[in-house]
Amino acid sequence: MHFRRFILGAALAAPMLGMIATAAQAQAMTADDAKAFIDQSGQQLVTIVNGGGSPTDKATQLRTLVNQIVAVDQVGDYVLGRYINVATPAQHDKFQQLFHQLLSYNITYQIKAYQGVSFVVTGATPQADGVLVDTTITTPGKAPADVGWDVEEIGGKPQIVDVIVAGTSMRITTRNDYASVVTDNGGSVSALLTAMQNQIDKAASAQQ
Amino acid sequence: MQVKYVKGFKRRLEQALGLGASLLAIGLSGCATPPPKSDTANYQAYQQLNDPLEPTNRAFFRFNNTLDRYAMKPVAKGYVAVTTQPIRNHVGYFASNINEPARTINFMAEGMPTDAGTSFMRFLINSTIGIGGIFDPASALGYKETDTDLGLTLAMWGVPPGPYLYLPVFGPSGVRDASNIPAELYGTPMELAPASTALDDFGYAEGGLHLINTRAGLLDTIDQINATALDPYATFRSLYRQSRDSQIQLIKQHDLQGANGAPGTPYYVH
Repeated sequence: MHFRRFILGAALAAPMLGMIATAAQAQAMTADDAKAFIDQSGQQLVTIVNGGGSPTDKATQLRTLVNQIVAVDQVGDYVLGRYINVATPAQHDKFQQLFHQLLSYNITYQIKAYQGVSFVVTGATPQADGVLVDTTITTPGKAPADVGWDVEEIGGKPQIVDVIVAGTSMRITTRNDYASVVTDNGGSVSALLTAMQNQIDKAASAQQ
Repeated sequence: MQVKYVKGFKRRLEQALGLGASLLAIGLSGCATPPPKSDTANYQAYQQLNDPLEPTNRAFFRFNNTLDRYAMKPVAKGYVAVTTQPIRNHVGYFASNINEPARTINFMAEGMPTDAGTSFMRFLINSTIGIGGIFDPASALGYKETDTDLGLTLAMWGVPPGPYLYLPVFGPSGVRDASNIPAELYGTPMELAPASTALDDFGYAEGGLHLINTRAGLLDTIDQINATALDPYATFRSLYRQSRDSQIQLIKQHDLQGANGAPGTPYYVH
């Protein structure tokens, strides 16, 4: 009888233990870990941007780095928002592919503007799902900018999921931008994919 | 005579604003068509977007972009070419200092005593030690700048933002926030001084310089949005709304902070 109760109890407790384990894992990243992650990632970014090499080389290096430090798939799904339920699996895959490409182009676009950039980590605030790391970015000839990096632990390692500038979130802004294209075209996800492809073509021809 | 001249200017300005309002009223005919209520998800999204005047707003957005391309942006680029970042910073401090008394009044009306005190101290310190507001020693002394305006005061009183408005010349706004435009014209210390042509010219020069200085500070940001956004109109709308929400949060945070710690302590410390 006792044994049966124990087995039942254990069976009931097992999922809870799992939850505790997940919670413990989620809490594994401290504010200091997130700060160290942003500090290290930022230094790598600065080294690439200010380093020698052709713009194409820099773009390739940046793309590799961004894929390592940014949770691009998660950000993409966030940006697609409620249309993720409307998109077919093929459209979803295409969206992710285009989103990765667009992100690369948008980053490459910035390289020239950030020549001579430097940054300092100024603090970190734990959030519900992760840590917001504050930095001040200084670029020659420009006023210093305070930029916040939303870091979450994804797949066991810290990843950037959002960038906050002057109280505005990059992923929310992009989500609203994309949603506007979908609603302007009667809720069609394929119209969004076309617009993204056009934007990539435009960026590709501008960078040639 | 000079008083009349200033009054005449104000009247013309009021007429211009009235014309703007009439244009908007005409623009009401250019309303967006809401999706049917039966289409719940899209209807909710439409309500949340709160931009029933979108077709008219987009027309003004195009108008402002043309104005920007041929007037504001070239002037701002020329200004950047002949000034250095420190000079542009000082121009920014000066313009900010002139608006500080209006902020103090707004903070008092918002029931934010610490913010009001900080703002008052900023004006006092920067107008004197800061040589008429050209320098910002107040920040170094711990009195950091927090922005506010009449729209944010109304927000604190519980006035909802209302539909989004994109105004000709003035840009992104809302039904509540549009109250800032006339309020800011009258809310400077220059209004208290006796009217004179010199003061009037100073007002024009300061206003124009502030406008160009602000545009210069946004050269890269606006170029970047126009180059990377799929729908720049929707992107600016989103940025405007997020920025207003964040300003409201900052006002509350900074006021609370002053009660718990030294003024100007970074917000993440608490």
